[in-house]
Amino acid sequence: MKNSKIKKYIMNLTPLLGLAVLFAAFLILGTVQDINISYGLKSILSQSVVVAVVATGAIFIYTLGSFDISLGASTAVSALIGGIVYNKTESLLVMTLVCIGVAVLVGLFNSVLASVFNLPVFVTTIAMLSVLNALVLVLIKVNGTGSQIAVPAAAVRSLNNTTFKMVVLLIFVLLCIFVFSFTKIGRMQKFLGGNPVCAKLSGISEKKMAIIAFVMSGIGVGLGAFLSIVYAPTLTRNTASSVGMDVIIAIVFGGMPVSGGARSKIYAAVIGAFSMTLLSQIMVMFNLNSGIGQMVKAAIFILVVFLATSGQRGKMLPR
Amino acid sequence: MKTKNKNIFKQIAGTAAIPAAAFLIVLILCSARGVKLFETEGNWILFFRAAASVMLTTFALSLNLNSGRFDFSIGSVSLLSSVISASICTSLGLPTIPMLIISIAAGAVLGMVSGLIYVIVKLPPIIVSLGVALFYEGLAFAITNGYGVSFVANTELTSFPSVLNYVLIILFGLLIFIFLFDHTKFGYEYKALVSGQKVAINTGIKEVPNAILCYTIAGALMGVVGFIRATQTGTIQMSLNFGSIGVMFTAFLPMFIGGFIGRFCNEKIGYLLGAITTAFISLMYARLNVDASIQQIVTALILVCFLIYLNNENKVIELVTLKQYRNKKTK
Amino acid sequence: MKKFWALLLTAAMMVCVLAGCGGKDSESDNAQGGSAGTENQGGGSGAGDSGEDATPELDMSKTVKIGILVSDATSAEALAFRTYYTEYIQKQYNVELIYSDELADAAGEAAAIDTFITNNCKAVISFSSFDRAAQIEQCEGVGVYYAVATGTLTEDEYETYKGYEHYVGAIGPSLSVEFETGYNMAKHYLDQGVKNFAIFGGAIPYYTEMHIYRAAGMLTAMIDAGGDGANYQGATDMGGVLGQIFADGEVKTGAIGDVNVLGYVGGYDMDDAWFGKCAQMAQTADLEVILAVGNGSDFFGTAIAGTNVKIASVDAYASSYGEAMEAGMLDYLAGKFSASIGPIFIATYRAALGSPIRTADGNAFALSQGYWVASSAEEFNTYYAVDSSVDAPAYTKEMLDTLLTADYAAFESFVSKYSFEEIQGM
Repeated sequence: MKNSKIKKYIMNLTPLLGLAVLFAAFLILGTVQDINISYGLKSILSQSVVVAVVATGAIFIYTLGSFDISLGASTAVSALIGGIVYNKTESLLVMTLVCIGVAVLVGLFNSVLASVFNLPVFVTTIAMLSVLNALVLVLIKVNGTGSQIAVPAAAVRSLNNTTFKMVVLLIFVLLCIFVFSFTKIGRMQKFLGGNPVCAKLSGISEKKMAIIAFVMSGIGVGLGAFLSIVYAPTLTRNTASSVGMDVIIAIVFGGMPVSGGARSKIYAAVIGAFSMTLLSQIMVMFNLNSGIGQMVKAAIFILVVFLATSGQRGKMLPR
Repeated sequence: MKTKNKNIFKQIAGTAAIPAAAFLIVLILCSARGVKLFETEGNWILFFRAAASVMLTTFALSLNLNSGRFDFSIGSVSLLSSVISASICTSLGLPTIPMLIISIAAGAVLGMVSGLIYVIVKLPPIIVSLGVALFYEGLAFAITNGYGVSFVANTELTSFPSVLNYVLIILFGLLIFIFLFDHTKFGYEYKALVSGQKVAINTGIKEVPNAILCYTIAGALMGVVGFIRATQTGTIQMSLNFGSIGVMFTAFLPMFIGGFIGRFCNEKIGYLLGAITTAFISLMYARLNVDASIQQIVTALILVCFLIYLNNENKVIELVTLKQYRNKKTK
Repeated sequence: MKKFWALLLTAAMMVCVLAGCGGKDSESDNAQGGSAGTENQGGGSGAGDSGEDATPELDMSKTVKIGILVSDATSAEALAFRTYYTEYIQKQYNVELIYSDELADAAGEAAAIDTFITNNCKAVISFSSFDRAAQIEQCEGVGVYYAVATGTLTEDEYETYKGYEHYVGAIGPSLSVEFETGYNMAKHYLDQGVKNFAIFGGAIPYYTEMHIYRAAGMLTAMIDAGGDGANYQGATDMGGVLGQIFADGEVKTGAIGDVNVLGYVGGYDMDDAWFGKCAQMAQTADLEVILAVGNGSDFFGTAIAGTNVKIASVDAYASSYGEAMEAGMLDYLAGKFSASIGPIFIATYRAALGSPIRTADGNAFALSQGYWVASSAEEFNTYYAVDSSVDAPAYTKEMLDTLLTADYAAFESFVSKYSFEEIQGM
């Protein structure tokens, strides 16, 4: 009994251990190859923060056992509208609020559409992905030069530093941890994700929980959009295009079960995002060609997730 | 007798309603702009090619998705299988049929590998499929040094596109798929596993071989899709960083349409009719030269509206009948 | 047992992959070995060359890391460039070239440059243009040299950054060269009496400037050849045509005097509808020539098989285009030659070694370079033989070595002689 508890505890820590191993590998290989480790660490933080923030918010959706494939496109649309608004108002505060507002609205639209019309959430997000991608092209064509919408670099330069980004990430993660672990919302969401029938019978409103999850995710997407502008103020049709898939990988990499439920944890997103960037940085040191590099990444991804979830396997094939 | 006839009529009407409605709407839109929907042979080829590739993709997606297995890797299987078959055929100077066979075999092997990874590592299929998609895209890139495969000048291989060939692919694909899933032990077990995983396993059905075979069949189907796409232009362009998953999104609308039509006839025929519906829409986009961003929005709206109807059918029917009842009453 | 199989499987995947890496690594090792070897040879040959006095000033004993930013990893052009750098330049000079992933946006560029800085790259050569200004600022901020390959800065950007210490310069087709490329392509057929064209607009819907300028060149050539009153949507000159395309985001079909634009397709949607649009454009009645602002034969080749329609493209020298030319599917190719990125490498390498090339005013350079144009299979094969060679490419080490000590005037003169004949005559 005691042994199984210890084993379970260790299994829970596996993603963190994975991050530690990747970190150690980065330090060792970096020292051997004489790279600029301190700059590298700052760069890793900068590169991970957008995915970390978006993925942290998305944990709420994943906890319910759903997933949202349109998060990257939503980040892009929020950033573009935020950029347009900045160019009209020259206010960073308004831009930030608009980024968050648009993302929350998109999330609400997704969840309301799903709950009012009884649609499966992932289907609404697939449709939303198409709509948002089209909206990106339209926004750039109507409000930009056709190829881009640019916020003046000088306007956001002062914010483009590691401290600011870490503070934003930290505040958001703390907010999410509070909602997830210190209010009944988190418990209800885990219950719904783990056993929807029982949860519904206990009086938990699935619709309400879905809306809350999408609002939290929307805040993360909005902050991610804002941080995207801070990092790279020139927005093009492919802005944040990789965020959608990166978020899924980060969440899984961090040890979050895709089926949601009781094992869900907020910090998985942050661990996953940093692990992913560390892995990419290590890969650069090997200077592999694009195809082989991607194959190695894929193999490591499966291996890490396999090890991180080895305590969670049942007799039946997972679905 | 009357009821039987009524049922047959209902079945035929239910089966044909969506593609017929799509055809009519598309025809009206084209006529309004003074454009003929089918003007040249190229239009017919486009229509049947779209129907064939979308139908096969829908089969491949649905056979795992119905079992709760979301598979992001089907696009990469299609890419890699066509790279393998085209590389072999262009280097050995082989004609079309061997290329098709090699594509199917390569797709089946790649699908089987994907299934084996899934059953061995026992991770959720969505995770496995992400890793597999990345791996296969990378492998396709590595095999061709990033250049992809080009055989534009190979008139033998690029002569495949024709209405007859695509119709044959549709017919054979449909018949084999129906046979496998409706007339074999594998098919019965598959259905049992779809409707109740735990119960099916408890009755002695072996889930692992069934799942591997599902992935293998999906892979073979995507091998044909890869072959269709490759012989269309004579080039295979590389994709990295999940660039290959776009293929998967073409199959959602026909899959849901097929699910609806499946109430009135065989579900697989429903998928074919779903694919035909989307082929009509694609042809209309091409004939009316519709902008890509508008295409995306329209397709998404059709998907959402259709699903809203599907998931709220009873309410819609209630609403309509209630209205009729009230109308009668006021009269 | 299951766990054992799982581990075995993932281990097998890793071994399979790393076996590939092993091959690559050993190649890299050879490359490094080769660098050292050839460097000595270079030094030896340098002793007998005109660069005798200045070469020793450059300390080429240490391996210099240079980051290469790429937004395209799969086109024929991008792959030809990469082959020249990794299979030739890296083996001839004591450099390690670190390639970025395929970048999709400005954030990707910033992240890749951060990664290069982490890996102690002394310089960055950029093939990616989502936000050139941000790239230059980022490199300047940390003292890393930055150069633009196969592209140029806008006039405003050049004025802003030409004095930056770490901005090396740019070599590539200027927008006026892009315009001329399109103009000459259309003129080639107009001179033959062709009247009926279709245009493939590539990235015009995404407002990619080089594609817009090439299309504007084509349309302007048609206006010039279209007889009295010929105009494109009311525009009669380069400025007007450019303005019209920028306003529409596409090329409009219709008559330009007695020349006709019968069809137009833009974008790279690659879905059924898009391929349908391509096929129906290629099969338009009376069509004679498809003018593509980018790769044309890959998208239209099969559709025109068996007809008399010709395709003209702008891209690079790849074997597939040779086959398309032999088969009559491609008739005209304005292609970048892979070695065209040799001079920008030398300028960047020199900067990293402490000997940057500056203009007479002490500014970064901005040099234009054009295309090799092949209008027959024979011409293509002649160019391709040189372009694809990794032993004796268009710009060999011996030729590039002369730039290691060249002043700006000599460098500019070298770059300006980019035609095949001029390079062969060097």
